[in-house]
Amino acid sequence: MSETTNITTKEKTVPERSREIPVIAPVVDIFENDDEMLLYADMPGVAKEDITVNIDNGELLISGVRRLPPSGTATREEFGDVEYRRIFSVHQTIDVEKVNAELKDGVLTLHLPKSEASKPRQIEIH
Amino acid sequence: MFGAMDLLRSRLNRLTTDDNRFYGRSPGWSATDGSPRTNFYDNGNQLELKAEVPGMSKEDLTIQIQGNYLEVSGTRKSDAPEGYKVHRTERETASFTRSFTLPSEVNVDKIDASLQNGILSLTLPKAEAAKPKQVSIA
Repeated sequence: MSETTNITTKEKTVPERSREIPVIAPVVDIFENDDEMLLYADMPGVAKEDITVNIDNGELLISGVRRLPPSGTATREEFGDVEYRRIFSVHQTIDVEKVNAELKDGVLTLHLPKSEASKPRQIEIH
Repeated sequence: MFGAMDLLRSRLNRLTTDDNRFYGRSPGWSATDGSPRTNFYDNGNQLELKAEVPGMSKEDLTIQIQGNYLEVSGTRKSDAPEGYKVHRTERETASFTRSFTLPSEVNVDKIDASLQNGILSLTLPKAEAAKPKQVSIA
C-alpha cells in the first residue's frame, strides 16, 4: 500500500515555474590599508549592467547575474547561468559616498575608502 | 516529487549569505580542481568551447591545437596590492593546462578565439567531412 501526500499544494492553472538560476557566493580577496578596504570578486561572464552593489546599514551586498547566450547542444557543461551573490558587514568607518567599483575581465574591484575621521593620525606632543 | 525539496533548498541558499561550503562552486557541477570550468557545445557545423577565466588577459592564455587534440593553458597573475594588510584570499593564482580530444576534426585555420568579461570563447568550425549532411533518397 502506498500513499502519496502532496507536501506543496499546487493549483492546476499555475504554469510550471521555470527553473530559477542557482545562487552561489563568488570567491573574493579582501585587503586593507590606512586609506581603504579593497575587495576583488570573481564574476566571470557577468556584464556591467547585471551587477548590483549595495551598501545599506553596515551591510555590503554584491550581486551579479550571468546568463549564457544560447549555444547549440552542450556536450559538456561545467558552468551555467548563475547569480553570484555575497553579503559582507562593513565597518562604520567606510565613507559610503566614495565607494567605487569597476569590472574588468570578469573581476569586480571594489574600493571602499575609509572616512577621514577614522584614518590613523599621529598626535604630536608639544 | 522532489519539488518540495528543491524549493526548500533554494530558500535556504538565499538565507545563508556567507555559506562556507559553496564559494565560487555550486553543488551539482563537476569540480575541476583549479582548472577553469569549461563548456563544450556542438552546433552542427561547428564546435564551441567556453571557459571561465576571470582575471586573465589575452597574454596569459595559450591555445594549441593539433589534429583533434586541443590544449588550453594559462597563468593567472596575482593582483594583490603592495602594502595592504590581507584579510582574505580565496581566489587562486595558479597555472593550469587542460586538454581535450575533440569529437570531430576541425578546420584549424578558421578557429576563432575571443575573451570577454573573463570568459574565453572558441569557435571551431568542423572540417568538411565532419559536417552533417543531408542524404536524399533516390
